[in-house]
Amino acid sequence: MKKLIITLVLPIFLFALIITPSCKKNNGDEPIIVDDIDPTAGLTKQHEGYAIGAATKIAVYTKSATITTGYNKFYLSLTDSVTGKRVEDAHIMLMPMMDMGAMQHTSPTENPASEMAVNKLFPCAVVFMMPTSASGTWTVEYTVHNHVSNKEGKIKMLVNVIEPTISKQKMFTALHNGEKYLVSLIDPSTPKVGINDMEIAIFKRASMMSFPADSSLSVVLTPEMPSMGHGSPNNVNPAHVGKGHYKGKVNFTMTGMWKLNLDYKSGAAVADTTQFFDVQF
Amino acid sequence: MKSFLFSCFSILLVISVNAQEPINTIENDSSKIILLQNVDVKATIKTPTQQLINFCKYNNIATVEEILARLPEVSMIHRGAYGIEPTIRYFNAGQINMQIDGMKIHGACTDKMDPATIYIEPINLENVQVQNANQGFLNGSSIGGTINMKLADANYLYNNKITGAINSGYQTSAKSFYESLRLNYALQNWAIAASGTYRKNHNYKSGSGKEVLFSQYEKTNFSITTSYKINQKSKIKLDILADDGWNIGYAALPMDVGKATAKIISLSLLSNNNLKRIYNWQAKIYTNKVIHFMDDTKRPNIPIHMDMPGVSKTSGIFIEGNGKINKKQKITFRVDAASTFLQASMTMYQTGQPPMYMLTWPDNKKNQIGASLSWALQVDSTLKVSIASRADFVKANLVTNDAKNHVSIFGDTTIQKDFLKNASVSISKKIFNKLQLNTALSYSERTPTATEMYGFYLFNASDGYDYIGKTNLLSEKSLQFDLSTLYKWKQNKIQINYYFSKVNNFIVGKINSLFSSMTIGANGVKNFSNISFAKIWGLEATSFVNLSPKFITVSTFRYTNAKDNNNMHLPFVSPLKNTTTLRYQPNHFFAQLETEIAASQNTISKNYGEDATASYFLLHSRIGYNTKLYKNNIELQAGVENIFNKNYHDHLDWGNIPRMGRNIYLQLKFYFNN
Repeated sequence: MKKLIITLVLPIFLFALIITPSCKKNNGDEPIIVDDIDPTAGLTKQHEGYAIGAATKIAVYTKSATITTGYNKFYLSLTDSVTGKRVEDAHIMLMPMMDMGAMQHTSPTENPASEMAVNKLFPCAVVFMMPTSASGTWTVEYTVHNHVSNKEGKIKMLVNVIEPTISKQKMFTALHNGEKYLVSLIDPSTPKVGINDMEIAIFKRASMMSFPADSSLSVVLTPEMPSMGHGSPNNVNPAHVGKGHYKGKVNFTMTGMWKLNLDYKSGAAVADTTQFFDVQF
Repeated sequence: MKSFLFSCFSILLVISVNAQEPINTIENDSSKIILLQNVDVKATIKTPTQQLINFCKYNNIATVEEILARLPEVSMIHRGAYGIEPTIRYFNAGQINMQIDGMKIHGACTDKMDPATIYIEPINLENVQVQNANQGFLNGSSIGGTINMKLADANYLYNNKITGAINSGYQTSAKSFYESLRLNYALQNWAIAASGTYRKNHNYKSGSGKEVLFSQYEKTNFSITTSYKINQKSKIKLDILADDGWNIGYAALPMDVGKATAKIISLSLLSNNNLKRIYNWQAKIYTNKVIHFMDDTKRPNIPIHMDMPGVSKTSGIFIEGNGKINKKQKITFRVDAASTFLQASMTMYQTGQPPMYMLTWPDNKKNQIGASLSWALQVDSTLKVSIASRADFVKANLVTNDAKNHVSIFGDTTIQKDFLKNASVSISKKIFNKLQLNTALSYSERTPTATEMYGFYLFNASDGYDYIGKTNLLSEKSLQFDLSTLYKWKQNKIQINYYFSKVNNFIVGKINSLFSSMTIGANGVKNFSNISFAKIWGLEATSFVNLSPKFITVSTFRYTNAKDNNNMHLPFVSPLKNTTTLRYQPNHFFAQLETEIAASQNTISKNYGEDATASYFLLHSRIGYNTKLYKNNIELQAGVENIFNKNYHDHLDWGNIPRMGRNIYLQLKFYFNN
């Protein structure tokens, strides 16, 4: 009988072992060897050309398939046209321009932060305030100083900017100083139910040719689901982290159409309380 | 509806779990068995109550819930005419174990629309065992007790012959039909029994004559049990049970149930050998799956249409048995492990917008392994001491990234582990020949439920709040005391019970005014939280008095009170209640009158949106006749419930939905080849 009991109890413990998931190693922690990997894998090439004088080919890549109104991150791939080698040390400046015939204006720009490439590419960003249309076209001029060959040159490329179905770019005139501010929604770029990174970039319109990053505002975030009339809990207001970027957290309790209400203040003075972004997933 | 039961009083007897064991001469009142099948009675019951049980008739129209409702320690929470949730001495849901033949089964509905009792029909039950807090943890850590529904076995009484019974009934109030069939066949070492049940209920009418909308339901239940005798002492048994319900109305909730199904499979090895030290044991491996789809398409004026499916999957294994150390000492043991997976989601639809999808039970799993041991010592013919203990290791975790993302909004998504300890000491002492005192002291623990840990905006239609879980809730820890006196003379018996529980870390919903509710029209959001303690106490009394051998009265009283740490009343406390049955039974015929009285309930919890409930008095009458037709037994039964057509609701009914008005029923049962 004792043996019988043991033979019956043993399977219970074995069963318990099976149902108790073992401490699996997290495969995601393994280091990724980048040397052999194409740095542009997974990115979309938007356009390319030669910077005359710099003897350098520039290819512009983005994570998304298209360039849209709002904040666009560019990844520049530089190749020395003489040696055919990848250039990872260069000074690059961007100048976007909207040509509307009668007038021209630029838009907020983030030049590569470093003269050394990051993962072999030069990340930079342009905020397009409006889409390409019959009344106006966008160009971006790249000024490149190739530090390897010590040559400098320029190239201007036409950019086709598309208006997305849900706008990620807003502008308001502040109540406290009458200035115009541009706000771009960067994150959540792939929204999910749960905690999402929230990031916006704010630029001030100093003139038609100057859009400096703004760090003077404070932001209050109130997500809302208009069709249900509810919000979500435990959000973190975006706070300035540098270069006009504000980071916080937004929580979505379900999929669907959400409205991210954003109120802006300068100190105690109210700058704007009408702005929002729509997010749909 | 609840009172729809004939002879349950004769079933409702205080029988010891251990009563069948020859060494036990003192009744232990911590466990009760309601027998539902006649066949086993003579073999298993050897107490003075045997006589009562032997003439018991049972009503196969009655659901398991209706039978349970007659026990003084069981109160039922109604959300509609179906899916009625049992509570034991106030304890409910995660505080009690609901088991089928020792198997764990978890409902797949976040709104507790499907307690395990709905998946079982009396026709495939042998008995229902109810244990209160002092012993209830032996089948699984719990602070409130256990309801275990034991499935009926196939019998070997008639070799190579099909036997069985057909049962048919009709009730006027809900225009409901009940049909069932059970067949049994045995051939040498093999025996097989199959049963099928069909119920169809329309909306019932309340005492005011109004139709109670969304109180309909329809269901089928099938079971097959096959057993094979390995030898005279042991057998292997395979049980398969399938229950399907559809078009189930929940009058007190904003939506109904389109479909609810349960599949339950188990394989058991059983052994009985009185000569061995371990004289009976069984080992069982089982799995069950419950699927639940809510449905709001029949409701008028819904603000937004939604789908709410839920699924629960449980697998487990256990071995349990009884042993005797010597003539005076007996042990029972159980070792078990189980794993339960739960997922429920909600998708809302609004034209022109993408669907709104969320997990209301983010995918989660609870694994448990535990063992229990109880030891009983018959010191002499007047004194018995029992000690019971159990320990469980429980692990709960979220199993998908999506689930973790959901819960991360509110905090902790880590694995929760707990070690649960339970122990009790019971002493039974006969003071005179007629008077017996039982006392028990116990300590028990239970982990929070998936709803309490991971619930994601679960709307509670009773208080109108959305509930949000808290992953790192503390386990409830309860200390309880029980005192009962039993006075017996001739065939008569009066028993009075007093009980008291102090539950530390009691889990309640606390209003969170910072959060906005998700459900349209909800009052706000509540977070499941621990409060320092709650106190629950009450009194129960049961009497069986034979006025003459053919004339018997059975009466039960119950009173419960429950308060939190601020001395505020907790919700859903049943008021003082009495049910009394007068039964006259000459041969082949019986007639009985029943009264059901509930006092008004004014000690209410305003925090939970409760209102006071008026008292009510109900009168029911029932008659039955047994005869033989071509050598086969036939039973005819009829009755009138709520004779005065009282318009009433019970305090534990959600939404103050009125109960059934006057109801006339007729039932025929035909046994063949028995």
